[in-house]
Amino acid sequence: MSANNIAISVTDLHKSFGELKAVQGVSFQVQRGEIFSLLGPNGAGKTTTISILSTLLRPDQGDAQVMGHSIRRDPMQVKSVLGVVPQEIALYEDLTARENLDFWGKMYGLRGAALRQRVQEVLEIIGLADRANGRVGKFSGGMKRRVNIGVALLHKPQVIYMDEPTVGIDPQSRRNILDSVVALKNQGMTVLYTTHYMEEAQELSDHIAIMDRGKLIAGGTNAELVQLVGEQTRIDLTLTVEASRVLPIWRAVEGVAHVSAEDGRVTVLVADSNLVLPRLFESATRLAARITSVDIREPNLEAVFLHLTGRALRD
Amino acid sequence: MIRILDIASKDLLQLLRDPKTFMFLLIMPIAFTLLFGFAFGGFSGGASDTRLPVGFLDQDSSRLSKRLRDLFAESDIIRLNVTTRAPADLEELVAEGKLAGAIIVPNGYGRSLLVNKSARLTLIADKGTRATTTVEAEVIAVAGRLDSAVRTATIIEQTIGNRAPFQYALEQSLAAWKNPPIAVTETTSTIVKAEKKSNQSASLAHTSPGMMLQFAIAGLLTAAQIIVAERKSRSLQRLLTTATNRLHILLGHYLAIFTLIFSQFIALVLFGGLILRVDYARAPGAILIVAASAALCIAALGLLIGVLAKTDEQAVTFSLVPMFLLSGLGGAWVPLEVTGETFQTIGHLSPVAWAMDGFKNISIRGLGIESVALPALALLGYAGLFFALASWRFSTNEER
Repeated sequence: MSANNIAISVTDLHKSFGELKAVQGVSFQVQRGEIFSLLGPNGAGKTTTISILSTLLRPDQGDAQVMGHSIRRDPMQVKSVLGVVPQEIALYEDLTARENLDFWGKMYGLRGAALRQRVQEVLEIIGLADRANGRVGKFSGGMKRRVNIGVALLHKPQVIYMDEPTVGIDPQSRRNILDSVVALKNQGMTVLYTTHYMEEAQELSDHIAIMDRGKLIAGGTNAELVQLVGEQTRIDLTLTVEASRVLPIWRAVEGVAHVSAEDGRVTVLVADSNLVLPRLFESATRLAARITSVDIREPNLEAVFLHLTGRALRD
Repeated sequence: MIRILDIASKDLLQLLRDPKTFMFLLIMPIAFTLLFGFAFGGFSGGASDTRLPVGFLDQDSSRLSKRLRDLFAESDIIRLNVTTRAPADLEELVAEGKLAGAIIVPNGYGRSLLVNKSARLTLIADKGTRATTTVEAEVIAVAGRLDSAVRTATIIEQTIGNRAPFQYALEQSLAAWKNPPIAVTETTSTIVKAEKKSNQSASLAHTSPGMMLQFAIAGLLTAAQIIVAERKSRSLQRLLTTATNRLHILLGHYLAIFTLIFSQFIALVLFGGLILRVDYARAPGAILIVAASAALCIAALGLLIGVLAKTDEQAVTFSLVPMFLLSGLGGAWVPLEVTGETFQTIGHLSPVAWAMDGFKNISIRGLGIESVALPALALLGYAGLFFALASWRFSTNEER
């Protein structure tokens, strides 16, 4: 990565709250125009990291550059290039959507005709132009989330931080938000995205950093992370015969790394499910056994997290 | 700097949309001003009459005894309670304190006056009390006036005959008492003049600023809740991710609360002056100074409450406790003037006491603009203290 291509560069960040070490030596780089996800369970230190990068919290140690500005030395410059979407609905519920955007636009330094025009643009981007004069307090969770994101877009920031923006909303609103994140990237914005939803990180991210207990435990593209831990495809099957009858046969099938049975379900770990699955069907047929269900699970970040920490991501 | 105005405008918009704002800032102070005004001053003529109640039993029923009754009825000291009860009943009423005294005009009183004999009245009173001394002095003065007038009329009638009949001369003599050729003009300071107003006016002049101040503090609840909600929703943190610094945020909130309270004061001063006839108009500049400094002080207190409270429940507690404490201690309910010196000193630990002094120096004591300098300075001192505490707490709430 060339220095000119770096939007965010984080070096050895540390932050403690009393005895709690919330962030311990976190370092990573985010390229311009990419979506970079911080993935980790609740309490991993994602929000603290975002708060430090937003200049809300002062790091105990370390520094970060946002579009070349140090969070320690030039916090106002950092703020001017940033848009922040907090995890909470950080809006005034007794104001309308337009009044909220108008107020926040002023806080970002917009005035007059430029402000009015940008507010209207953002209302259209978030799909709430027809509800502009409705009070935010009366909106659904998904609509509030959209206004929450809209606020961060008002001043056309170069970098946008989104802290768990899909928490607690319906699937349709979630889909809209994920699509809008991709749209922001397509407009050239750099997105730093935190989530504890593995699927979101996988779908959106160019690069992912996995955080746990204040530390970065792995980083790279989705493929790199999966390969990093050598995870295999998991195939869960149910049969019309006792699992014990097929176990010794399937263990001998070429390409099968591991076979186990639990509660009548057989789990097979393989390197390539396309090659192995036909062989499993063939051997089952020879035993006069019928396979009644197949569930193929490609290696994913959940498995990576489990592999690295011994805990599930949602624990 | 313009962000301060933006934040203040946003806060005011939120406050004006909250029905509680009008409840606390206008409706309740007006209602309680009327309630307290009624309770302490009353609205009936009788209740506002400060003259001493004195019974009057006329056993003579002569022309002169009736004239004597009329003279007592005109008294500024005695409020005559004409009765036909027996003297024993009157003694009982005086003993019970229901009457400050009772005058009995004995049979033959008028005839004695006309024949130039000593005419005696009977006064039933509780000896040794200040009220008795006052009533006694007034009875002597009024009776003496009638006696002199009768003597003068008698002499005139005897001297010039029918050209000046007795009745005419008597009335002229009595009228002359009202406009004596030599008179001592009693100059009373405006303070005393103001205090001579009816109880009702004095009571409203006290309760009007008292309730205004009390509910200005109570109204801080809505302002504090806006700051609490801003922090809870993380809007405050979001504000801090913009290029808006902490002091501007604090000043924006402060300006909004000040504007609200100052507007409330102006509205209630106008209500007090125009409807309740409280004499705020005597020195409008001084009233503005007191209102502005009190609003600055209370707004700073509101800011401190908003910064300290972490929940809506805390905002309620932090608003209502100072409302009761500062209002009660500062004499918003009961005038500090009727308390002892020690309590008055303690009471002035409350900024409400200084604000009350400022308002009452104008509306009750009739003093000039210089009289509000000390109260205004004290209020500004409290404003500075509260703002400094709020600012310190605000900066330590978040690390940066």
